[in-house]
Amino acid sequence: METDEDNAKVLIVDDDADLGEMLAEYLAPEHLDVVPCLTGEDGLARLRSDAFDLVILDIMLPGMSGLDVLKALRQESQTPVIMLTARGDDVDRIIGLEFGADDYLPKPFNPRELAARIKAILRRAGNVGVEPTGNARTAGSIRIEPKNRKVTVSDVTLKLTGTEYEILCCLVEQPGEVVSKDTLSERALGRRLLPFDRSIDTHISNLRRKLVAAGAAEETISNQRGVGYVLLPGS
Amino acid sequence: MRSLTLRIFLSFWLIIGVLIGLAGLAGYAYSERLRQAFENFEISDTVVQASEVLDSQGREGLTRWLREQPRNTPMNVFVVTPNGRDLLGRRIPRWAGRLIRRFDGPQRDWQRDNRDRPNLRPARPLTRLRGPDGTIYTMFVEPKQDAFREWISERAGPGFLFIAIVLSGSVSWVLARVVTTPVRRFREATVSIAEGRLDTRVAESMRNRRDEIGLLAHDFDAMAARLEQTAHRQQELTRNASHELRSPLARLRVALELARRKAGDLQEFGRIDNEVNRLDELIGQLLSFSKVDAANDEDRETIDLAALMRDIVDDANYECRSSGLDDISVELSIDAQPTIRGVRSSLQSAFENVVRNAIYHGAEHTAVAVSVGEADGKAAVTIADSGPGVPDGDLEKLFEPFYRAPDAMAKRADGTGLGLAIAWRAVQSAGGVIRARNREAGGLAVDIRLPLSPRRS
Repeated sequence: METDEDNAKVLIVDDDADLGEMLAEYLAPEHLDVVPCLTGEDGLARLRSDAFDLVILDIMLPGMSGLDVLKALRQESQTPVIMLTARGDDVDRIIGLEFGADDYLPKPFNPRELAARIKAILRRAGNVGVEPTGNARTAGSIRIEPKNRKVTVSDVTLKLTGTEYEILCCLVEQPGEVVSKDTLSERALGRRLLPFDRSIDTHISNLRRKLVAAGAAEETISNQRGVGYVLLPGS
Repeated sequence: MRSLTLRIFLSFWLIIGVLIGLAGLAGYAYSERLRQAFENFEISDTVVQASEVLDSQGREGLTRWLREQPRNTPMNVFVVTPNGRDLLGRRIPRWAGRLIRRFDGPQRDWQRDNRDRPNLRPARPLTRLRGPDGTIYTMFVEPKQDAFREWISERAGPGFLFIAIVLSGSVSWVLARVVTTPVRRFREATVSIAEGRLDTRVAESMRNRRDEIGLLAHDFDAMAARLEQTAHRQQELTRNASHELRSPLARLRVALELARRKAGDLQEFGRIDNEVNRLDELIGQLLSFSKVDAANDEDRETIDLAALMRDIVDDANYECRSSGLDDISVELSIDAQPTIRGVRSSLQSAFENVVRNAIYHGAEHTAVAVSVGEADGKAAVTIADSGPGVPDGDLEKLFEPFYRAPDAMAKRADGTGLGLAIAWRAVQSAGGVIRARNREAGGLAVDIRLPLSPRRS
């Protein structure tokens, strides 16, 4: 496998060896170095020993499940994670996002869709290095420092996933204005919102929980039914 | 005791036996007392003694003698004055009072007659004594009685009736409880299992029973365990099957894209892609179809129906716009805010399926009308389209798996044929009813009724 310095390194944890190999072949021309691995334990070990730009995690793994890997990983790093879930298992979908996955893709997915999602998330993550722009923004007690992607609420630092960070930035840029779920999805997930797609709602509820835990008011992020979300920073 | 039959038999036997025995004893005691009083008393030493005392000491002496009678004899001696009072002021038993009144009637002059015919023994059971002043005293004995025996002999008739009712009533009640309590418990357990709580067991509450009911409880539990196991296995199987079926599909898709890249975009690739999509959707629908019934009680929650429908309608409108059905819109009207109880995911997919169905079969340039309200004490959702409707004879079949309305075959091949079947199952499992009817104005209306659940405060 070619190893290009500019290529992003992607770890695929899936017990389907054939699928992993084919994905590696498919994603290679997209400038993605794919490392397939078959078990959760192995995947976690590789994540600890090696730096990856993104992890694709199957939720159904023999032994250590994808969720367990995700939970363990989130203790240590905020590496972007795309969960592969079984379509129809809504519980798994939401749980994946609740434990800090950035996006999910129900199996069997279209590999083009997977490639698009990987790129969207990498592009967003890549923004960090490329654009150290912007001064610190504040909205009420929330303070965002784009330079080091640090978010504080009344001086308490929050641990946010990339997706949650993007959503918060998006809302903080337009405090008091309703931001549609589509906009949030395009910005934070790099894709259009799908019908019956609750991923933004789940990310928002994670974000809200973290904000409240740090002392922000419950209604800081308010749901405008059918339209989107609005940040009400208060006074 | 092992047999319930034997137990019931012995209990009834016991009641009847006890009642007969009590009746016999009481009757015997009554007749025995009368016999003693009437036959033996007149010639006894007591009477002789009393007459001597009366002769020598008069009324005061007799009163004293009466008071000094030994207490440990089985008899109470009564001496009654002509005005009907006992010398010691005791209450005179009713039977004796009755006899005295009768004898004091037309034959008051009996004492005199007696003298004229000395060898004539009166057939009268009451002894009479003549005092020195000519006063006639009536003397009789009454068997000494404790309160209970007195109660029995004095109020035998109503007493027995009372005892009979209370005794047979209470024993029968206990019997009835013995029979119905386990039956009620079985009923609760059956209802509980029917509601999907397959871990319900009954034997624990009847641990000490070794009779037929105990055995039944044991068998019932074995059946429930079997059911639970089967349901669990089936759930596992469908879950694994869907995973296993999807793995080759996932590989097929990646392989397809690789082939497309190498061979260029052939038209056939698009068709393969479509078929993969349909297979995938079918697997998903089969999975949720089999999952609807397997819901556990802890999966149920209180749901704000209006909010749920608002989300579904929003999503459906979004879906219409993004799939090019711009001329169809879904409109929601909310007449009430009912809350229901059920499994959110399965009810959501039920409503989504019905709404989708209405979108697919509704005529172009029309709206699908969704209304939420309450009717007849139930939560009511109606989803109506303006499409061609369904032949009246097929309205029932609409909710059968893989039924397709005649036009659906011709017009569009999408849909798995399971959507409305899933809706039917989900609504059923939430205790509701789903029905389809043709609207008078044309088009199909699907009515869903669900039991209301009290709003959590």
